[in-house]
Amino acid sequence: MLNQYPTLKHILGRAGWYFVTFLVAVTINFFLPRLGDANPVDTMMAKVSAGLDTASAKEKEESYLKEFGLVELDPSGHVQRDAQGKPVRTTLASQFANYVGMSLRGDLGSSILQHPKRVSEIIKAALPWTLALQLPTIVFGWLLGNVLGALAAYKRGVFDQLMYPMALLASAIPAFCFGILLVYVFGIRLEWFPAVGGYDDGLSPALSRQFIASASYYYVLPFLSVFLIVVGGQAIGMRSMCIYELGTDYVKYAKLLGVKESKILFYMFRNAMLPQLTGLALALGTMVGGALITEMIFSYPGLGMAVLTAIQGNDYPLITGCTLLVTVTVLIANFSVDILVGILDPRIRAAQRTGK
Amino acid sequence: MTETCSVASKLPRGTQSFVRRVPAVRLLRTALALLSLLGQADCRRDADDAGGGFPRGETFYVAGWQWGEPASFNPLLSNPDWPVSTMNFVYETLLMYDSITGKMVPLLAESYATHAESVEVTLNPAARWNDGKPVTAWDVAYTFELGKRYKSLNIAPIWQYLKAVRALNEAGKEVPVELNATEGYPRRVVFELNAEKKNPLVVLDALQAQRIIPRHVIEPMLAAHGGNLDDFDKLKFDKDAVSSGPYKLFSYSSEKIAVVRDDNYWGNQALHGGKRPTVKFVVHPIYKSNDHFSIALQQGRLDASSTFVPRIWLKAKKGVQSWLSKEPFFLSSAMPMLIVNHKRAPLTNVHMRRAMAFAINYKDIRELAVSGYSEPLKPGLILPFGLEQKYFSDADTQKYGTWFDPERAKAELKAGGYTPRFGADGELLETLDESGRKVPTVFVKSPTGWSDWESIVRISVKSMRAVGIDARERFVDASLFWNALFEGDFDLIMNTPSSAPSPSKPWSRFEILMTTQDFAPLGDKMYKNMGRFNDPKAPGYIPRIDELLTRIPSMTDEGELLAAYHELNVIFMQLQPDLPLVYRPDAFYEFSAKHWSNMPSAANPYLPPLTPGDRLGTNMLWAIEPVTH
Repeated sequence: MLNQYPTLKHILGRAGWYFVTFLVAVTINFFLPRLGDANPVDTMMAKVSAGLDTASAKEKEESYLKEFGLVELDPSGHVQRDAQGKPVRTTLASQFANYVGMSLRGDLGSSILQHPKRVSEIIKAALPWTLALQLPTIVFGWLLGNVLGALAAYKRGVFDQLMYPMALLASAIPAFCFGILLVYVFGIRLEWFPAVGGYDDGLSPALSRQFIASASYYYVLPFLSVFLIVVGGQAIGMRSMCIYELGTDYVKYAKLLGVKESKILFYMFRNAMLPQLTGLALALGTMVGGALITEMIFSYPGLGMAVLTAIQGNDYPLITGCTLLVTVTVLIANFSVDILVGILDPRIRAAQRTGK
Repeated sequence: MTETCSVASKLPRGTQSFVRRVPAVRLLRTALALLSLLGQADCRRDADDAGGGFPRGETFYVAGWQWGEPASFNPLLSNPDWPVSTMNFVYETLLMYDSITGKMVPLLAESYATHAESVEVTLNPAARWNDGKPVTAWDVAYTFELGKRYKSLNIAPIWQYLKAVRALNEAGKEVPVELNATEGYPRRVVFELNAEKKNPLVVLDALQAQRIIPRHVIEPMLAAHGGNLDDFDKLKFDKDAVSSGPYKLFSYSSEKIAVVRDDNYWGNQALHGGKRPTVKFVVHPIYKSNDHFSIALQQGRLDASSTFVPRIWLKAKKGVQSWLSKEPFFLSSAMPMLIVNHKRAPLTNVHMRRAMAFAINYKDIRELAVSGYSEPLKPGLILPFGLEQKYFSDADTQKYGTWFDPERAKAELKAGGYTPRFGADGELLETLDESGRKVPTVFVKSPTGWSDWESIVRISVKSMRAVGIDARERFVDASLFWNALFEGDFDLIMNTPSSAPSPSKPWSRFEILMTTQDFAPLGDKMYKNMGRFNDPKAPGYIPRIDELLTRIPSMTDEGELLAAYHELNVIFMQLQPDLPLVYRPDAFYEFSAKHWSNMPSAANPYLPPLTPGDRLGTNMLWAIEPVTH
């Protein structure tokens, strides 16, 4: 019955597939961290067992296992034991059922290693920093990179000869190398910019001018360390795409017809843009995972470090909470691009209509 | 940042209101402020002395105690966040241990005495909680008795050594607890020792390590949770917590934790002659890598740190100082070592263990792996310097000890019936035992990414292979590492047992490595004697070791004590149950004199090398002075 509305049908179809992908991803996210040998309580015990005798340490370990739902309880709330007196571990299946139930209620649970903090609290505190660092670098880097790339392709000459090797260099430097270089030169040798942190140690986050000024000052190096690399990568991609477009028949034909240069540029840009757009969506989707390397090099606040420590310590609820967030944003970003590309590109729109 | 530094403030009036009205322009405004900072280099310096926030002249920056996001300041947790995790900012101990003099310094307790059957403590009559209530003997007894009620509390293990903790009044009588008493409350606490396991040492350890909590606050809260500790543990104590210390929690985030001075602190009058700390705020920034603490220290952003700063002599010209101005720079109290698994061949063979001890190049470890921050290693488990030196016997170590000597290592291998086979390139192929069978490779476990431990392990393995011992590194994920350590899933494993200086040293170092109490098979967890040395059920059990470990704590005669320590150390050297590798401080202590002067150091040793907030180190906050630029 949706046959009269091919666009709607297409959108619903895509949405269905994305939902299936979502379910699969969530399941994998749940099971992967739990497949290894390690378990978060061992990590905790290492921290807290100093000075404990063996009996007390066992007591403590069981109280943690109970707290985090990793052991089976009998109806009276006591830990169930096997024949050797060891606590019976909860099966993965029942942990999964518990997790799905909680997720449906919008409850991400509480972190194990940062007990008793809620996972949602941790994400809420770190996410603004991650977005503030990632969103502008990706969006502006993408815009500037594409403009530079298109210009280089169209203008050629000296501009291209300068821009191209520079872009190559920028995109070829590993992000951590570039970050460390920036810290060393501008943070430690010249001391123009702070080398460490997200804002002055003497301040607390607030919407004051002082804090914003400090945060902006501390923002420069981390921003540049990612921004220049994004610009370089995008410029190279866009340049190649545009050079390809320049050779196509429609551009030659338009030139012969004497169409205005800006008009030709616009058409060309629009066509060259499509693959770049997909790249942008992917980058925007994964950005909530945090810029781990940047955070580590600059001790910059954000989610990346939280994810890393969670993974190192097998903090299951925090890992699944963060991966859920990444999954959702990647899927939303991809879905939006799927729809957007259909609207922007008449060829794809036509294909959707006819169902090919 | 000062007013004049902002471009936004210089904009015409109309523009300013426009800026305020249109949120989208905020970005632009930020960018303008940023540009202004770029343009005016001298403004950058002002940014440190921020008018709001923490004024630099009244703030002390310390680091090394908090590595992850803070989560809870609950005093009953085993791993609360800084400053509750370390001592004497928020909650206080009865006494503080001075690791240089070996004396106990009064805090909540004004005096203590060790008797044959008990340890007695008398509280300072002036000691107060920050809600004005007195710190009573009931509070102290309660703090310890919680360990009897809840076996998972860190204070619980002490109860195997205690019969009772009694709160007595001046007349020596127990009086019924009154939650809101302000006078006539008991001030004497008697820790009655368990006659079968008499051990005043662990009690003294606890007196300087256990934070005392307010009974009148904690007990009603526990009761409100039906006495359920797991529920109580969810309380964060991050607001208006009742405590007795000189500082209170001020703010916390994933980037820093700050405490603020409590001007009504009882100890200002009672302990510091009416003076209050010169420091108003103490801030602990949370950076994400060790290097950042070093950088911050060099740039004067940190005033003291307890982190590992490699090659500190290179940072001296940037104003980074340590306890000593030359090697070994720090005072050691700990021994990183390889714990040996006594249930796995070939480590069951004493010749193999001694061969290893002769093979390892300790000088390389000291110079290359730990930046020379260690005195040269001497054999045995007793430190040959500081307070333990009196128990150390040079004659014994000459006679029984092991040191770097590849020839003797080879001789031990031969004595054990081992024959190494080397390839043409001098590389070890395999080691054969008496019957000509290949000896299994010995793996040395250490957590991945702990770079100083990794270098120690690499040097050890290299030197063991050089003499013909088939050893290999095995770096594992930290979470797997700890489990392996406790369950005995290792051949050799890196560990630093019982590192903190305390009244029970060196006994507690011997005890944690050699006690057979709670002996468990491989696969079950043991938190002491992880190497399963001296199995009491196996043939060849040496009861003398347990006997010495049980008797030393209650020995009072110095001659007897000396003989016992000598005997124990000789047993250790002869049997070499584990392989000590190097000395190391329990907590590193570096400081910068850029913003605060009169920091303790070997040249000015009025306090031991501890950062403020770390036990006795807190006292420096009354003595240091702001540097006026």
